[in-house]
Amino acid sequence: MQIYLPIAELSVNLFFLIGIGGAVGFLSGLFGVGGGFLLTPLLIFSGVPASVAVASVTGQVVAASTSGALSHYRRGGIDMHLAMYLVLSGILGAFGGVAAFSILRALGQLDLFIALGFLVLLGSVGTLMMIESVNSIVKQRRGVVVRERQAHQHNWIHGLPWRVRFKKSRLYISVLPVLGIGTIIGFLGSLLGVGGGFIMVPALVYLLRVPGNMVIGTSLLQVVAMMGATTILHAVQSQSVDILLAFCLMIGGVAGAQFGASANKYLRGEQLRALLAILVLAVAIRFGLSLVLTPTDVFSMAVIGPGGAR
Amino acid sequence: MRRLALATLAMLLCVSPVLAERLVSQLSTDLIEITSSYDGERITFFGSIEPAAGAEQRFVEGPFHVVIVVTGPAQARVARQKTRNFGIWINTDQVVFDRFPSYFQVLSSGRLLDITSPTTLAVENILPEAQPTVQDEAGWWKSSVFGRELVRLMTQKGFFGLSESGVQFLSNTTYAARLTLPSDAPPGSYLASTYIFRDGEIVARRAEGFAVRKTGFERFLAVSATQQPFVYGIACVAIALFTGWLGGVIFRR
Repeated sequence: MQIYLPIAELSVNLFFLIGIGGAVGFLSGLFGVGGGFLLTPLLIFSGVPASVAVASVTGQVVAASTSGALSHYRRGGIDMHLAMYLVLSGILGAFGGVAAFSILRALGQLDLFIALGFLVLLGSVGTLMMIESVNSIVKQRRGVVVRERQAHQHNWIHGLPWRVRFKKSRLYISVLPVLGIGTIIGFLGSLLGVGGGFIMVPALVYLLRVPGNMVIGTSLLQVVAMMGATTILHAVQSQSVDILLAFCLMIGGVAGAQFGASANKYLRGEQLRALLAILVLAVAIRFGLSLVLTPTDVFSMAVIGPGGAR
Repeated sequence: MRRLALATLAMLLCVSPVLAERLVSQLSTDLIEITSSYDGERITFFGSIEPAAGAEQRFVEGPFHVVIVVTGPAQARVARQKTRNFGIWINTDQVVFDRFPSYFQVLSSGRLLDITSPTTLAVENILPEAQPTVQDEAGWWKSSVFGRELVRLMTQKGFFGLSESGVQFLSNTTYAARLTLPSDAPPGSYLASTYIFRDGEIVARRAEGFAVRKTGFERFLAVSATQQPFVYGIACVAIALFTGWLGGVIFRR
């Protein structure tokens, strides 16, 4: 069944949209990530204009993260104080990201920067995750007891000025790294159409030493608020949010995430991370190849103007 | 003055017997509405060649050839070229075409070069390749290279094309042609120009318009996205939050 997308101005198979939404939702439920980093590339590769894909996936990421954020909120797994700092700086970064998005689109370099951004981001995160999970799998095989990193170990970040006490996370740290992380993720998230959970979680754990029970909830709340703001910014600035496209992806994504979350129980933590690392690296390699390999066509075209999606 | 009048009279005498045909034509639709299930639309062109009003002959004599040119709304389009820099393929050069047709299909009843001369085709702007208008700032050479590539890309996408068996004659003087408008052809006003050829000369012509536009819910969404972008954005977020919450409630996460 075909459905006409009024902003993208093309007609797509409805079941295909719900299907990729569901598949990505399954993976995001399985691994506990937003799934934007998979959905945006998939849409781009299947012919949706890059600008519409990025802007509409931001809406989908909001929906995908809401139910998780709510359940963490009920369990008290969110540090509101910390989340507020992250959200405010994230929205600031999103302003920059959406502005850069418009400039790059006008220059004809948007696709290049999306590909480069995904390559660098996913490549580095995927490699780190791969190394870490393989190490822990190998250690476990050898029978070494894996010791968790200590949450209250101090590093250089704890020496910065303007310290603020985050009661719930039992942290007394400078706001500078918090604002820095928020701004960077806001910028990249709005430029690439990803929630940034896969950068946020490691940053909170390894840089700020936020306790494990607060990390996921706080990161999810930040994703919901920041991507919500980004959706509005994209709607105003580039007018390329396709509400119908986003809604189809949401339906698939929300349903798929539930199945993913139940499949989650059958896999061990390190195995999960290794699988996620493979997935992330595969997307990174796909983008890398598209940059390096000789394209089938060195010429491309686009429409200029407010509705200029193609 | 008298000589001019004589010349005009002579020309009229020469020309009028040639233009003794007229074209009666009809489109199957003049408004294509884009609804949620829109997946392109088929348009049929009908026409009949008849003696012109006031002409003395009671029938027309062929053989005739029909060429139909369908043009879509003009857009500003840019053609870009990638080159390899430091091992990465980057868009390095571009030419902007301010008014480039978004759609250009030619249907004819035979090979265009059998129907008429290349000069006539060029003068009447019938060939898809003739579309790009030279852009001053880019220079003649560059804009003609990029224009050619743009036409090729548009042809690959199915927006531009030439179908030399697209028009079928039902009798000696009536014809029908079918065209399938793809779903991603942009909304706007389209123009269908029909040319009737005999012995390489245009004997009759007619232009008809039809519109492609979003209706109902699709129109509402597209209009709100451009005219009330802020409200539209907030609505998107509200829908996303609601869907996420509902999913959590349904599946008890």
